[in-house]
Amino acid sequence: MSTRQRDSTDEFEEPDDDTLSRDRIRENPRPAMVWLGGLAVLLLLEIGRVFAGVGQLFGIVGFTVELLASVPTSVGGNVGGTLGSAAGFVATAITAILMAFAITVPVAGSVPDGAVDVLGLDLSRRGHRWAKRAELTFVLVALAGLIAYTPFGGVFSALIGAITGGVDALASSLPAITSRDLIPNTGHRLPEGGWEGTFLGLSPAVAWAIRTGLVFAYATAFLAWMWRGFDVYRTHYRLADWTPRDDTVRRFRNNYWGLFGFAIVFVFVVLALWAPAVSPVEAQHNIYEPNAHEFEYLSDDGEVTSTTHVFANLQSRSDGQNTIGPMSYDDYGRWAPLGTTNRGQDMMTHLSHGARTSLVIGVTAIGLGALIAVVLSLLSSYYKGITDIATVMASDTIQAVPALLLIMLVSVVFQEADHPIAQPLDGGLLLALIFAFAYWPGMWRSIRGPSLQVSEQEWVDAAKSYGQTPLQTMRKHMAPYIAGYILIYGSLLIGGVIISTAALTFLGLGINPPTPEWGRLIDGGQSYVSTDSWHVATIPGVAIVLVVIAFNALGDAIRDAIDPEADVDESEAAATGGGA
Amino acid sequence: MSQNTVSTTPDRDAAETAPDTMVKVRNLKTYYDSGGLFDDRPVKAVDGVSFDIQRGETLGLVGESGCGKTTLGRTLIQLEEATDGEVLFDGTDITSLRGDQLYEWRQNAQMVFQDPDSSLNDRMTIGEIIREPLDVHEWKTSADRRKRVKSLLDEVGLSPEHYYRYPHQFSGGQRQRIGIARTLALNPEFIVLDEPVSALDVSVQAEIINLLEDLQEEFDLTYLFIAHDLSVVRHICDRVAVMYLGNIMEIGPTEELFTDPANPYTHALLSAIPKPDPTASRDRITLHGTPPNPRYPPAGCPFSTRCPTRIRPDEHEELDDEVWEGINGFREIIRERMRADRSIRERLRERIGWETRFATIDETYDELFGDLTVPDDVEAVLTEVAEAAGNHEEREALDRLNTEFGSVCDGVDPDGGDDPVEPEYYEVSDSGRLSYCHRHDDEHRETATVLDNRS
Repeated sequence: MSTRQRDSTDEFEEPDDDTLSRDRIRENPRPAMVWLGGLAVLLLLEIGRVFAGVGQLFGIVGFTVELLASVPTSVGGNVGGTLGSAAGFVATAITAILMAFAITVPVAGSVPDGAVDVLGLDLSRRGHRWAKRAELTFVLVALAGLIAYTPFGGVFSALIGAITGGVDALASSLPAITSRDLIPNTGHRLPEGGWEGTFLGLSPAVAWAIRTGLVFAYATAFLAWMWRGFDVYRTHYRLADWTPRDDTVRRFRNNYWGLFGFAIVFVFVVLALWAPAVSPVEAQHNIYEPNAHEFEYLSDDGEVTSTTHVFANLQSRSDGQNTIGPMSYDDYGRWAPLGTTNRGQDMMTHLSHGARTSLVIGVTAIGLGALIAVVLSLLSSYYKGITDIATVMASDTIQAVPALLLIMLVSVVFQEADHPIAQPLDGGLLLALIFAFAYWPGMWRSIRGPSLQVSEQEWVDAAKSYGQTPLQTMRKHMAPYIAGYILIYGSLLIGGVIISTAALTFLGLGINPPTPEWGRLIDGGQSYVSTDSWHVATIPGVAIVLVVIAFNALGDAIRDAIDPEADVDESEAAATGGGA
Repeated sequence: MSQNTVSTTPDRDAAETAPDTMVKVRNLKTYYDSGGLFDDRPVKAVDGVSFDIQRGETLGLVGESGCGKTTLGRTLIQLEEATDGEVLFDGTDITSLRGDQLYEWRQNAQMVFQDPDSSLNDRMTIGEIIREPLDVHEWKTSADRRKRVKSLLDEVGLSPEHYYRYPHQFSGGQRQRIGIARTLALNPEFIVLDEPVSALDVSVQAEIINLLEDLQEEFDLTYLFIAHDLSVVRHICDRVAVMYLGNIMEIGPTEELFTDPANPYTHALLSAIPKPDPTASRDRITLHGTPPNPRYPPAGCPFSTRCPTRIRPDEHEELDDEVWEGINGFREIIRERMRADRSIRERLRERIGWETRFATIDETYDELFGDLTVPDDVEAVLTEVAEAAGNHEEREALDRLNTEFGSVCDGVDPDGGDDPVEPEYYEVSDSGRLSYCHRHDDEHRETATVLDNRS
C-alpha cells in the first residue's frame, strides 16, 4: 500500500490563510482580550455568588459520588446477607469494577496512547482500546479501594472537607453587588420616622426594589456579554465564514413568540439562581427555621422590640380573614412585594425558592431522561434488530403504567422506606429521578424515528466503509442530528415536569414542607380565591401557566430555528456558497 | 502493480489465473433476513455470482433497479456481510476478515455513493469530512492531514479555501467531488462507484465521469462502476456485467457485449436504449410483467418468467406467442396465490361466497385467454390447471403446467431428475465472454435467431 502512496501533497503550496483559531487569536488578540476583560469584571462583581455556586456544585457532586460509592457496598451487603460475607465481598468488588468500567468507556478515548505503550505490549487497535479501558478501570478501582479501605481515605476526606470549607468561607466573605450585606432591606422603623438597618436608610421596599433591579440588570448584562462573545468569535476567530448554526440563530432571532418564551424562561431562571437576592427575607429565617431567628420591629407602643419569625408569621397570614396583599408591609414592618402565604410566610421568598426547586427537578429529570433516551436511540438505531426490540419492550412496559400513577407509587414507596435518596429537597431529587425514569420512554419514542432516519444516511455507511468505530460514528454522524429533536422535546417536557411536580405537591404527595414549592402554595390558597386573600393561589398559578407556556414557546421556536427548510426562499447561504 | 495502465483492450485473457487479477469473486451470496423471528425466507439480493476484476480496469455492473447490483458492490467492500461464497482481494478472502484485519484492509477499498446529498454529513465542514478517513487511520500528523485534504480538494477540482465551508454551500456536482476526494483520502486501490452520476444533471455527469477517468489514470485505480445508464457504461467501462435478480446474466468486454449480445436479457436491456436512427431495424423487445420477488426467485433460470426466448417443449413450439405470454402470466399468478396467506376473514368470506381480494381463478383465466384462440389440447390442460388452482391446490396446478409446458428454463430436468436444473455459464466468444443461458447449449437455437423468428 505504502509503495504506491503518491505524495501529491508535496507539490502543494500551503496557503497563507491556513491558521487555526488559536493562531488567529494570537494574531489578533484585541477583541478576545476585551471580551475576556469584560467577563472578568462581570464575574468579579458577583465573586461571592460565584463561589457560593461553586460550593453548591461541590455539594451536588459530593452527594452523587457518595451515592454511587454506596452502591457496591449495599449490593455486597445484600449478597453477603444471603450467601455469606465472602460472597458479599466478591459482589462488592464486581459491582465496583463494573461501575468503574462503565465510567471509563466514554472517557477512555481521550487518554493518550502513551498510557498503554508503557506496558510494552504489542497490541492491535482494538486491543489498544480495551487496554486503555482496563487500565483506567484499574486506576479507578485502586483509588476507590485506597480511599475506602486504607487510612488514606481519612486524609482524602479531610482534604475534600478543607477545600469545600475554603470555598464556603470564600463565598461568605467575598463581596457581591447583589448581596444582602451590601444592599440590606431588612430593618425596623424608628419611632421618630425613617428606617434603621436598611440600605442608606431607605424603606425596605425601595431597598428591595434596588437589589432586585440590580439582579436583573446584572443577569441581562451577562447574557448580552455572552452573545457578544459569540459575535466576537464569529467575526474575528471562526475559520468558516458561515455555519448552519448561523442560520439557526438568525431564524430564532426573528421569531417573536420564541423570544417571548425565552424572556419568560430567562426571568424564571434568574429568579431561581438569585433566589436569595430577590427574596425580601432570608428563606432560612422565614421558611426553614422561623423559630430560631429573631428580628426587631417597631411595636404599636412606639418601642423597638424583638420577636421570632414564627410568631410574626402567625400574625401575618393571608387566610381570608386576615390579608397581607401584594405590595404591602405586614404589622412587623416586613416588606411583602407579593403578599404573604396562607401560613404567613413571604410569598416572594417562597416563589423564588420554589422556582429553584422546580428548576432543579425539571433540569435533573429532563437531563437524565434525555441522556437515557439519546443513548438508547443511538444504540438501537445503529445496531437495530434485537437491541431495538429490547428497547421497545422496555419502553412499552414503562409506558403501560400511567405516568402520574407510577410516580405516586414509587415516590410513596421510597418515602415510606425513608431511603437516603428521598432526603435532598424533601423528596425533590427522588421525584426528579422518578420523572426521568417515567419520561425517557416518551422522549426515546419521539427521537427514534429521526435517529433511524439518520442511521440510514449514506454518510453513516461511508464512515463504516473507512473503518470508523461505532461509538465515534454515533457521536459524530448521528448525535448532532438528534440533538435538535431532543432539545425540542426536552424543553416541551420540562414544562410538563414542572406542572406535574406542582400537581403532586398540590395533592400532598411529592415535595414535603418546608422545601418551597409552587404547588403547595396553590393548595394552601385554593379556598381563599374568592376572598381578599385571592393572591395566595393566583400568583403561583399564573406563574406556573406562564412558565409552562414559555417553555413550550421556546421549544417551538427551537424547532423552527433548527429546521433548515423553514426559509428556503431566502437561501442566502446557497448564494454565498459557489466557488469552483 | 507497475505494469498496469488503464486497460482498454477487450481481448485480454480473462482466465481465472491471470496474474493481474485483483478481485476474485466466487459464488458470492448476500441474503437479507427481514428481521422477523420466524421468517425463514431471506431476500436473495445476490444469489451466487462469480467474476474477476483485473487490476486497473473498470468493470461495469448494469441491471434494472432492485436486481442486487448495489448490494453486490456493498458486499465487495464489506458494508454487507456475505451469506456465502468468497471475495478474494489479492488472494485474501475479505469475507472472513474481522476486527483489526478488516480495519486495515478497508484502506484498500472505498466507495463513492449514489446520492451526494446523503453521503456528506451536513454538520461537518468539507475539511472535516475529507479528513475523517485520515483521522480514523491515524495517518501522519494533524498538519500533514490538513495539507493532504487541501491537495485532494485541488485534485478533484475544488479549491483549498473550501476547507471551512459546509456541504450546504455546494451544488450536487461539487458535493460528489467532495465525496470522491474523501474516497481518495486513504489512497485505495479499488473503488466501488455506486451510480455516482445518476443523481446529477446531465451536463455535470460528463464532468464527473471525466474526473473519474483522470483519477483512474493518475492513481492506477480499479473501478467497479455500478450504473443503469447504459451509454455511460459503454463510455467508461472496459468490461460489463449484466445482472438480473441476483445473478450475472452476461459478462464480457464492453464493445462486444453492446454490439453482439448473447444473453436474451442483455438483448432486452440493450433494445431499451433509444436509437437516434428512426428507421432502425430491430424492434424493441418488451418484457412482460415485473421481475419476480427476490424472496421467491423462480426455479431454474432467474429470467425464465419474462424471457422472450424461453425454450418451449417441442410439441408446443408452434404455439402462438400471445398464448405463451398468457401461460407465463397464468403461472406467475398461481405462484403468487400459493404464497399469499389467507386470513381467517378471507377464508370466511370465501366460504359464504363473498368477494375476496383473490379474484376467482375463472376471472383471471378469462382476462388472460378470453380474446385468444387457444388450441383445444392446450385449452384442455389449462382448464384442468384452472380447476386445480380454483380449489386452492396450487401445487398440483403448477406441477401440471410444468409437465405440459415446462422446459429446461423452468428448471425441468430433461433427464427426469427431481431437482430443478439451472443454466450454466457458456463461453460465447474468444474474449472469454460468459453468458448464463440454456440457449447456448448446442441442443437449442441461439437467442438472436429465435428473436428474429418470433418477432
